[in-house]
Amino acid sequence: MVEYFIRRLLLTIPTFLGSTFVVFLIVQLAPGGPLEQQIQALKRGGETAGAGLVGEQALPKDAIEELKRFYGFDKPIWQRYLIWLGVWKREAKSYRIKPGVPRLVGDNERLILVQEGESVVLRNADDPARPIGDWKWRKERDDETGEVRYRVYREAYSGILTGDFGRSYRFRKPVIELIAERLPVSIQFGIISFVLSYAISIYLGVQKALRHNTPFDFATSSAVFMTYSIPGWAIGAVLLVLFATDRFFPIFPLGGFEDPLYADFSLLEKIWDRAWHFVLPTIAYTAGSFALLTMLMKNSLIETLSQDYIRTAFAKGIREERVIWLHAMRNSIIPITANIGYVIGIFFAGSYLIERVFDIQGIGQLSFEALVARDYPIVFAFTVISVVVTLIGSILSDLALALVDPRIRFK
Amino acid sequence: MAEIHTRPPVQSNARQSNGEEILSIQQRRWRKFRSLKRGYYSLLVLLAAYIVSFFLPLLVNNRALVVHYNGKTYFPAVRDLLDLPIVGQLGGTPFIAGEELGQVGNKSECNYRALKRQYEEEGKGNYVIMPLYPFGPIEDISVEGNEPFMPPLSQTEFGEVRLFGTDDRGRDVFARMAYGFQISFSFALLVATLSYLIGVPLGALMGYFGRWFDLMMQRFMEIWGSLPFLFLIIIVVSIVRPSFFVLVLLLVIFSWLGIAQQMRAQFYREKTRDYTAAAISIGVPTWRILLRHILPNSLVPIITFFPFAVVGDIGALVSLDFLGFGLAPPTPSWGEMVSIGMDNLTNGYWWLVLVPLGALFVTLMLVVFIGEAVREAFDPKTFSRLR
Repeated sequence: MVEYFIRRLLLTIPTFLGSTFVVFLIVQLAPGGPLEQQIQALKRGGETAGAGLVGEQALPKDAIEELKRFYGFDKPIWQRYLIWLGVWKREAKSYRIKPGVPRLVGDNERLILVQEGESVVLRNADDPARPIGDWKWRKERDDETGEVRYRVYREAYSGILTGDFGRSYRFRKPVIELIAERLPVSIQFGIISFVLSYAISIYLGVQKALRHNTPFDFATSSAVFMTYSIPGWAIGAVLLVLFATDRFFPIFPLGGFEDPLYADFSLLEKIWDRAWHFVLPTIAYTAGSFALLTMLMKNSLIETLSQDYIRTAFAKGIREERVIWLHAMRNSIIPITANIGYVIGIFFAGSYLIERVFDIQGIGQLSFEALVARDYPIVFAFTVISVVVTLIGSILSDLALALVDPRIRFK
Repeated sequence: MAEIHTRPPVQSNARQSNGEEILSIQQRRWRKFRSLKRGYYSLLVLLAAYIVSFFLPLLVNNRALVVHYNGKTYFPAVRDLLDLPIVGQLGGTPFIAGEELGQVGNKSECNYRALKRQYEEEGKGNYVIMPLYPFGPIEDISVEGNEPFMPPLSQTEFGEVRLFGTDDRGRDVFARMAYGFQISFSFALLVATLSYLIGVPLGALMGYFGRWFDLMMQRFMEIWGSLPFLFLIIIVVSIVRPSFFVLVLLLVIFSWLGIAQQMRAQFYREKTRDYTAAAISIGVPTWRILLRHILPNSLVPIITFFPFAVVGDIGALVSLDFLGFGLAPPTPSWGEMVSIGMDNLTNGYWWLVLVPLGALFVTLMLVVFIGEAVREAFDPKTFSRLR
């Protein structure tokens, strides 16, 4: 058993590499990326400056080269992918340098290229005896003009495997920080709706099974079907119009995560305000998964209840509640446990549709905006998160299944 | 050997010794389905609505059905009929300029509602017959009389009633909702059918032949399945503004997976059954075993899943349109309508959100009811319990 799960965990590695590479490929090959956007912006800037030079000429080739280097587009795609993973050396820092002229490379460190006999050597500009660390230099030749240039650079392994998700192009901040800011919101909704949807669906499923084919069953079935078929965000939009706009019943706030004055509230007010903002989005989040779970619960309990050992339990005169919750439940709970991973996947990857409807600044919203603005580091970070959550989720499902059903033996 | 029949010879009015009709399994399923009233009537309603929706240009349109002008007769709305199958091309047909029909000085498309009034006032024997609901899905404020955000049931100066008002560009919400139904439903049917056409054979081959083919495809599908698919579709859509059919293909690329998985499991199980072994041992060709022996036995779970696939695909299209990454504007689509409504949420234009979502809810409910009935008809489990 343990072996099986270790094998499963190991098998996620190729899958992870495969799917991140596919996303990487599609996103990076897509035209209109950050490089092109940046070049466009610079061109526009040049035109407005009234330099009189319009079009390609306005942007020096050097600047384009520099941008390419900044976004990493000067390398082939597979290399970019490996760099992004952190298994290929990345030029962490890179500066132009002119032979004989000192160049500041951060933190009061100045480097200089000097001719020493036959060869060119890189030295500390202030004190030639000081070691220069892992700084290196290279010669570059411009293909068109034939001009020779020099560059000093430092290499490092740094990518998602080393925990470096890069910096956002738009916010100029490490992606990790941005995600850490937004994650609590999404996770709070995730956990609450996860607990709620399991609690509601188990209880409702049991009630429906016990009252199979009664008016109660039919009435709740309609509600369940409705939430099953309609996307959660659509339910959220309807709730918002009905219960948040002035037109109908303005009971709940129109969206957002907390009141603008939240910081000034007392603790009690804070809790109240948070709860107030939570009601409608939580319904929208929960609606999506609870229907499936309810029907699974109901059907599996009905099936269990028609079995002989339940008949025996009743025949022995055990109370009904005990038979249902202790005897039947153990077997009926199995199918909905198998869905745990799937449900976790939905909740923890966040839902940008629901976040957009309610204007919640969670990671879903963050990644959607990043996608539109082609802020690649955030897009890739989100891809990593959602792929990992999906993969872990499916293993978790198996694990949960093995825990509740001792007959199941994975090999 | 020759005496063993796998099925009893079926005749339409065959009877068993006890007088009961002998029914094929399909007939029994159909009867069971018809007995489930909720699902059966849902099917009838939905089918009727979908068939009617192909004639929408004759029912809901700003172009007239018939125009009789100076002895000549025109049928402007009929041209739109041909447009419908290639949905999203609405309004691409050559129009008749207003001048041609006597609207002085109107070189752009004729305003038929005004034309009707004009003919009636002139009284020269010219006439216009408008469709039942005389507003089109894409005519906007550029046409006289169309104002943005007209509330439901507001009337035009000629007394025509706008059932659900207009949106931010003065387009009629009812007309857009109606055309949106035809587009969403056609879209979902196409996506579901195509993903079945891909998923069923692939899954069948994986399950039956197994080995390296299965192993390779499994790995591939695992990777494919862990991709954030809405995300990828958005990327692709933001590069190429897709036509209706390109968007269909994009969704198919991701939705055949589930069906292939199901089929694979079915074929994998049926392969080990005795009847398959028997067929192999008497030398039935492989394609025949696959198509005639195993396939009919494996189809039940995925047939019952079809309505739910349609539900999922409608939901996906509406979600994409809502985000602005679906069909190219000005195609009437429910998701785009909702997003306009959400942008104007605080202004009290409730109909912009509730009308398209109401249509979505009703459609999806009908499909789910059908799905539930189909499932029950194919899998009649009766439970008895003692309490």
